[in-house]
Amino acid sequence: MKIGEQTITFNKQELTLNTQRSIYWKDQKTLILSDLHLGKAAHFRKHGIAIPTDTAITDLTRLESLIAYYQAKQVIVVGDLIHAGINQEVLLLESFRQRHPELHLHLVKGNHDRLSQQMGIRFGIVHHKEAFEMQQIQFKHHPADAADSSSFRISGHIHPGISLVIPPKRKVRLPCFLVSTHQIILPAFSTFTGLDSKDLSSLYQSYAISDDHIFPITRN
Amino acid sequence: MNEKIAYSDGFRIISDYFKSQGNAPFSFQTKAWEKYEQGYSGLVIAPTGFGKTFSLFMAVLMDFLNHPEHYQKGLKLLWITPLRSLAKDLARAMQTAIDEIGLDWIVQVRNGDTDPKIKAQQTRSMPDVLLVTPESLHLLLAQKQRDKYFKNLRCVTVDEWHELMGNKRGVMVELALSFLKAYIKNLRVWGITATIGNLEEAMEVLLPQAAKRIQIVAKEKKKIAIKPIFPSTVELLPWAGHLGGNLVDQVVPIILASKSTILFTNTRSQSEMWYQLLLQAHPDFAGQIALHHSSIDAHIREWIEDNLSSGKLKAVVSTSSLDLGVDFKPVDTVIQVGSSKGVARFMQRAGRSGHSPFETSTIYFVPTHSLELIEVAALKEAVKTQTIENRDPMVQTFDVLVQFMVTIALGGGFRSEELHAIVANTHAFHYMETEEWQWCMYFITAGGKIGKRYEEFHKVIQDEEGKWIIKNRRLALLHRLNIGAIVGDAMMRVKFLSGGYIGMIEEYFISKLKKGERFILAGRILEVAMVKEMTVFVRNSSGKAITPSWLGGRLPLSSNLSHFLRKKLAAAASAPSSEKELHFLAPLIEKQAELSAVPSEAEFLVEHIKTREGHHLFFYPLEGRLIHEVMAALVAYRISKLYPISFSMAMNDYGFELYSDKEIQLSQMQLEQVLSRSNLMEDVISSINSAEMASRKFRDIAVISGLVVQNYPGTQQNNKSLQASSGIIFRVLMEHDPTNLLLKQAFTEVFNQQLEEHRLINAFERINQSKIRYTFVEEYTPLSFPIKVDSLRQSLSSEALIERIQRMEKTNAQKKKRRK
Repeated sequence: MKIGEQTITFNKQELTLNTQRSIYWKDQKTLILSDLHLGKAAHFRKHGIAIPTDTAITDLTRLESLIAYYQAKQVIVVGDLIHAGINQEVLLLESFRQRHPELHLHLVKGNHDRLSQQMGIRFGIVHHKEAFEMQQIQFKHHPADAADSSSFRISGHIHPGISLVIPPKRKVRLPCFLVSTHQIILPAFSTFTGLDSKDLSSLYQSYAISDDHIFPITRN
Repeated sequence: MNEKIAYSDGFRIISDYFKSQGNAPFSFQTKAWEKYEQGYSGLVIAPTGFGKTFSLFMAVLMDFLNHPEHYQKGLKLLWITPLRSLAKDLARAMQTAIDEIGLDWIVQVRNGDTDPKIKAQQTRSMPDVLLVTPESLHLLLAQKQRDKYFKNLRCVTVDEWHELMGNKRGVMVELALSFLKAYIKNLRVWGITATIGNLEEAMEVLLPQAAKRIQIVAKEKKKIAIKPIFPSTVELLPWAGHLGGNLVDQVVPIILASKSTILFTNTRSQSEMWYQLLLQAHPDFAGQIALHHSSIDAHIREWIEDNLSSGKLKAVVSTSSLDLGVDFKPVDTVIQVGSSKGVARFMQRAGRSGHSPFETSTIYFVPTHSLELIEVAALKEAVKTQTIENRDPMVQTFDVLVQFMVTIALGGGFRSEELHAIVANTHAFHYMETEEWQWCMYFITAGGKIGKRYEEFHKVIQDEEGKWIIKNRRLALLHRLNIGAIVGDAMMRVKFLSGGYIGMIEEYFISKLKKGERFILAGRILEVAMVKEMTVFVRNSSGKAITPSWLGGRLPLSSNLSHFLRKKLAAAASAPSSEKELHFLAPLIEKQAELSAVPSEAEFLVEHIKTREGHHLFFYPLEGRLIHEVMAALVAYRISKLYPISFSMAMNDYGFELYSDKEIQLSQMQLEQVLSRSNLMEDVISSINSAEMASRKFRDIAVISGLVVQNYPGTQQNNKSLQASSGIIFRVLMEHDPTNLLLKQAFTEVFNQQLEEHRLINAFERINQSKIRYTFVEEYTPLSFPIKVDSLRQSLSSEALIERIQRMEKTNAQKKKRRK
C-alpha cells in the first residue's frame, strides 16, 4: 500500500491527510476515518445482487496497514462503520479485534449504525451516541453548517468528491477532504461508495486524492 | 396459389371481407396466407401502409376457418410489437375485422398500460389473440401458470422486427421464442419487417434452423419525393445550427399550406428550439402546434398523438419519438431538420406522410448548414437505389441471459440442461461455451463464481426435484418490477408546484441550475422552485430561458449514407452538376477547391491549416462522429509516437480536427504512415481509455443483469441501503472479479458498438487505397470551418492524468496571484 500525505494545521493541531482516505493525528497517535460501510457488499448479496465480498476484506486490510504504518494506538470512526445489519462481513471485525487487542476504538454513531451499541459491546468499541471530543476538537458524523464557527469539528457522512475539468475538456471526479478553519469533512473510507461532488469550493479548501497523490485544489 | 387453398372456404370468406372494404389483397398478402396454411414460418417484408398486419393476421384467420379442428380454446395468436402505442390501434383493427367476418374471437392487449383488472381476467382465461411487448411476454413467462397460457398457441408474430433485431429487446424476443418452441409442437413463427440491408440475416435470427421457412417480399414500393429548402445565399463558411433558424420563414408557409405536418429534429434540445422558433415566426401557431419527445410526460404525448390523428393539430415538432407508431391519417407533410443520419430513418420519416399506399410521400429537408445540402443529393440516390442500412443482431448479451434465467426460474423453474439447450438454439447464444453457461448459473445461484464467499446469496435455489426456482417473495417481486432491456437515463421528474407532471430532465442539467433560474421543457418556460429527491418543482414563467441539453441522443451517421456523401462531394467538384443541390453549392465548392482541394472518390484529403490561434490538421473520412472520435484519438496517438505533442480534438460527421498550439511537423510520408492500416486495432487500444468507455457501457448491463436495481416496490427512499451506481460496481468488479462475464461483455460492446471495429477497418482500408491529398492552407476552408466552430471537443495527451492536474493547478494558482 502506497501512502501520499499532506499535513495541515487545524485548531493548532498538526494533522496528516493521506491518500488512504484517513487522517493521522500524530500527537495523539490517533487514526481518524469515516464511512467504512462494513457489510455493504454482503447486504447487497443478501438481496440477490451479486457483488463480490472482497471489498470488505480490502477495506479492513487497508485499515490494518494504516495502523501498522503509523503505529496508531487509537482509531476514531466518525460514523457509518456498519452499513446495515449484521452479516459475515461485519463479523470480520471479530478477528480484526483479536489481532489488535490493545487498540482503542471509538465510534461516533452514524445514520447507518443502527446496531452500534450492540456492536460496541461485542467488539470492544467505545460507542458515542452524539459526539466525542479531544483537545477541543469535536468528532461528529454530520458536518456542521459551513458558517458555524462555534466549534472545531471533524465529520464525514457526505462522501465528498470533487469534479475537475482538465483543459481542454476532460472531466474527472476524485474523492477529497473538505477543510475550513473550523471543520474537516472526511472522504468515505470504503471504496465501495459513491461521491457527492457538489461544488463547495467557496466554503472549503478541497484536498483531492488521485492514486498516490493528494493535493490542494485552487479554485478561481 | 395452390388450388385447394384458392377454392377453400377460408380464402373465400377473407377475400369477401377485403371486397366489402373496397380493397383487393396484395399478392404478398395472399402468398403469406398460402404459406402459413402450408405450415411455414417466415418473414414478410413490406413498406408501411400496405397492410402487412393483415398479411399474417388474416393468414391465421383463414387457416382457422379451413381447419377449425387444429385450434383449441384459449390463446391462438401471440402478436409481439415493440411499441405500446401501436398495440391499442392494431387490436382495434383486428377486432373490427373479426367482428365483421363473423367470428367470436377476442383480441386483447397486455402491456404496462393495461388495467390490472383486465390482466387478472386474462390470467384466468386468455383471449384468442393477445398483443404484447417483449417485456410483457417475459412477464408472462415469469408466472407460475405460464404453461397453461400458451398450451394452445399456434402462431407467434413479431411485428416491426427491424426495430427489435439490432438491440437487446430483440434478444429478449429470441429467447422467448426459443422457449415457446421447445414446449409447443409445430409453433409457427412469423416476422414482419420494413426493408433493411440484411434480410437474410434477419430471417436467420428470428427463425434459426427452422426447416420450413420463407421470405415474402412485397413488390409494392412507396414513392418518396425529397424537396430541399434552399437558403437565399450560400455561406462560404457554413456554420451548423445557425442556418436552421434563418430558414424558419420558409418553413412556416409549408406548414400553413398543409393539412397537418410533422417536423422531425434529431435531438430533444433541437426540437425545443424549433418549437420556440415557429411560435416566434408565426404567433398564430399558439395552440395549434405541439412538441413531442421522449422526455415529455407520456399522457401529454398520448394527447398529442390523439389530436394529430383527429387532425386538430396543425403541426408537431418531434424527435425520433414519432418515427414509429400508428399512422396519423391527416399528416400530409413531413419536414426533416438537419441530417437524418441514415437512409432507413429518412425513409421511415418520409413515410409518415401520404398514407395511402399509392400516394407519394413528400419530405422537405431543412439543412442546418449549407454543406448538408450534399446530403440531400446523397439521400436521393440512396433512396433510388434502395441502399438501406443493416441492423446488426446482438450476440452474447449475458445481461439479458441472466435476467431471462431468473425469469424462467420465477415462472415455475427450470432444469439447467434443458434451458441450456433452449438458449443455445437462439442466434444470440449459438456459440456460447458451456463454461459461459456455467458462469451464468453461478451468477444467479451463488452470486458469482467465487463460490464459498458468497454463502449469503440465495436468489435462485434448487428444489427437491432438482429444479431451479425462486422462493423468496421479495426477490420475486423485485425481479418482476425490473424485467426489460430498456434502461433510462438518470432522470429527474419535473412537476408544477401546484401539481401536474411535465416531463423528465437529466439530473446533470438540473444540478447546474439554481433556484429561480429558468429553463425550457415541453415548450414551456419554467422556473425552478425547489428540488426534492428526484423531483424538480417548477412554476410557469416567461422571458429568457436555457434550453436543456440531453446527453446522448446524438445519432451517428450510417455507413451507407457516408458512402453516398463521399460520392456526391466528389461529384460536386466535377462541375457543372445537373443536381440542383450540388449546383447550388458550387460557390462553396469552388472556394474549397481554390484554397485547398475537393477530394475525388479515389482521394483522401488532409488539410494542414495554420492560423493565429495555432496549428490544425483536418481529416475528412465522412464516416460519422463516433468513428471520427476513435480515428482522431488513434491519429493523435500515432503522431505523438513520432515526437511528443499534445492535441485537442474536435469532430463532426464529416471529419475531425487535431489542434495544437505547437507547430505540427508532419511530412507526406509520415502522414501516410500515420494513416496506415497495419497494427490498427493494437494502436486503437493504446490510444483510447477503453476502461472508461466500458464503464459507460456497463450502466445498461448492470441494470439488465440486476446488479443495479432501478425500480423498487413502494417508495424509493426505503431502499437507500441497496443503492450503488453502476460506476462503483464496475470499479469493484474490475478490482475483485476481473473475469466476470458481464465486465467482458461491456468491453465487447465497446468494440462492437463504440469503436465499430469492422467499420473502422473498412475505413482504413479505403484510406490506404486512396491517394492522400495533403494541402497546406493559411485560413479555414469551407470543409474545415464547421468542424472548427461547432463540435464536441476532447483532448488527448500522452501525459499522465496527475501531471495534467498539477499543471492546471499551477496555472490556476498563478492566475489567482496575478489577480490579487
